[in-house]
Amino acid sequence: MQLTADPADEAFRAEFRQFIAEHCPPEALGGRDFIGSGEDGPDGEAVLPGWAREWQAAMFDHGWMIPSYPPALGGRNATPLQTLIYQEELASRGIPRSLHFGGYAIVGPSLLEYGNDAQRQLAPAAIRGDTIWCVGMSEPNAGSDLANLSTRAVRDGDTFVVNGQKVWTSYAMIASKCFCYVRTNVDVAKHRGISVLIIDLDTPGIDIRPLRHITGQAEFAEVFFTDVEVPVENLVGELDQGWRITMGSLAHERGSLWVEGVAACQRAIDDIIEMVRRRGLAGDPVVRRRIAECHAQVRSMRALGYKGFASFAQGSSAPEHSFMKIAASEMRQNLYELAMDLQGADLATVDPDRSEQQGRWQGAFLVSLAATIGGGTSEVQRNVIAQRVLGLPKG
Amino acid sequence: MDFTPTDEQQMLIDTGRQLFAEQCDGVLARAAWEDPAVGVGLWDRHLFEWMELAGGDVIDLVLFAESHGRAVAPGPFLSSILARQVSDAVGIGPAEGAVTLAIAGSAGEWVPNEDVVKTHVTDAGIVSAIVVVSGSPAEPLVGVVDVGACELREVDQFDRLRRQFEVTVPASTGVSVDPAALVHGLERATLIVASELIGVGRWCLDASVAYARERVQFGQPIGAFQGLQWKLVDAALVLETAAAMVAYASMAVDADDPDRHRAVHAAKAEAGRAARRCVRDGLQVHGGIGYTWEHELPHRFRRAYAADALFGPSGWHLDRLAGLLLD
Repeated sequence: MQLTADPADEAFRAEFRQFIAEHCPPEALGGRDFIGSGEDGPDGEAVLPGWAREWQAAMFDHGWMIPSYPPALGGRNATPLQTLIYQEELASRGIPRSLHFGGYAIVGPSLLEYGNDAQRQLAPAAIRGDTIWCVGMSEPNAGSDLANLSTRAVRDGDTFVVNGQKVWTSYAMIASKCFCYVRTNVDVAKHRGISVLIIDLDTPGIDIRPLRHITGQAEFAEVFFTDVEVPVENLVGELDQGWRITMGSLAHERGSLWVEGVAACQRAIDDIIEMVRRRGLAGDPVVRRRIAECHAQVRSMRALGYKGFASFAQGSSAPEHSFMKIAASEMRQNLYELAMDLQGADLATVDPDRSEQQGRWQGAFLVSLAATIGGGTSEVQRNVIAQRVLGLPKG
Repeated sequence: MDFTPTDEQQMLIDTGRQLFAEQCDGVLARAAWEDPAVGVGLWDRHLFEWMELAGGDVIDLVLFAESHGRAVAPGPFLSSILARQVSDAVGIGPAEGAVTLAIAGSAGEWVPNEDVVKTHVTDAGIVSAIVVVSGSPAEPLVGVVDVGACELREVDQFDRLRRQFEVTVPASTGVSVDPAALVHGLERATLIVASELIGVGRWCLDASVAYARERVQFGQPIGAFQGLQWKLVDAALVLETAAAMVAYASMAVDADDPDRHRAVHAAKAEAGRAARRCVRDGLQVHGGIGYTWEHELPHRFRRAYAADALFGPSGWHLDRLAGLLLD
């Protein structure tokens, strides 16, 4: 066990820092939570601003979009440790790689792994952000129980005819394609009858309605399909074998996915300390104790993340990582709520003249609520850990 | 940063676990509860030779101390290791045989003070010498005194497997030492106690998971109930994060990393919280059987609280950490 880094890896870090200094737009710095207004023109500028598109393209062109990929796919064949370094450099500055996670993190890698030759050709544009994709997974009756999805695709000659509804579909209003999970077989166990279709969103029969969320803004949508005809060659992978595609996205980054959440917590603590000093609360014993508790917990999470990474880099499964999502997402909510409490009676005030940083903490708190729901609720995660990590029996 | 144990470290972990599994069961612990001499036998036969770890990297020490904590091993081994961290760090010749450390005074804080009555001195009844820290944080003194030169009063504790004493030490004991070196020794000792806490917590978590898989009520293993699963998952989460923090802080201390002071406070605070959480929830999962003296859980339960307090309870470390973050 040791606390050192290789000179080659430090050179990698230095090169990435140089790239950030030269190319990163000022709008991307500082770890703000980006939420589109949803009230948008055809160019989608309010939902996905131009600087974010340009930044993603620059990352791709310089081999920094998915560093572990080869150059043709926006990478530089980086090692797992280099990928970790890369994530740390982004996360410590609060820089997003992309504002639409689905394209580079889910669709691109899934097309590369499961697509046919023609579909694989779509991957670079998905990763570079030239094609905006949405991912059609959740439905009104298929949230945590995703396999319960009921959007139906029925084969009719050379097409599938799709009917149904998706919901919480991020960026559907500006996307041109949907990576859509549909039911193609109702006569088998529910997770054995799911397939993935690539659906062009300008196909007749698709109705997209932006969905405002608790922040008052919208980056996701409801998508309704009514007799939508999709060519059979748009099937990704084998018929009825779509469930396995839900399992795989950017497997080689799994060892460092935790970095962003932990860095957001660390940034929040640093900013809370600054605020506490400025507001004259630094001598309050209750405040001091709370900050120290949070700091100790966040530092411990970070240590666990590194420990898991060490196993991951050696090819072992890393159960540590299943703890990381729960820990970081719940801590983030606690920190934002603490920051609100430190504002006294202004805790719910978001007025630009009265609130800390125009209600930055209040906004971040509302955004952070999604993190314990999306991508597997904290409750489902706990069930999974109980059974797969601790080895307790299935209830 | 690399958390992968080297081959030698893995061997140390395996040997430690095997040693304590073979030599230190619940029967031995219950006997030592009544008679501290039982622990001295364990020291004489098996643990004395492991004192050679005392001067090495603290990461190696914490790996061994975790196994010691799992087993709640009785005897003067851990007290001796802790005392040696201080005497070695300040360059006072290593005291041979079993020793302990006297530093806390009436305030119960592990920082140098002028009090001649030292508190929370562990195992003073079964050691031959005491490493005494006095003076002040800026001008500390360290000396080694024969236990016969001190007046001892046993102070009954939750945890009678590691008895504690008030020790009246001879006035003006010791020589002036480098304050930074003393802090280094105390930080190493703090991490060893933190690691013992992780061992206690891990024993309880493992035992509770095993029991929840076996124990059948309402026609199914109780571990299938979600209420119990989440309790164990949350205990495991606190334990795993704390264990990683103790390892990180140990590496930071070994590397003289500037982050080490904060890391040690965070590690001790989190380890104490984790151990207490694991024994409380572990007792709950075990139900009535864990509440009986025949079970191995009660010793760990008591040790978790006693070791949390040793070298400063979690709250004290958090307040020191707050000082480093905010002042």
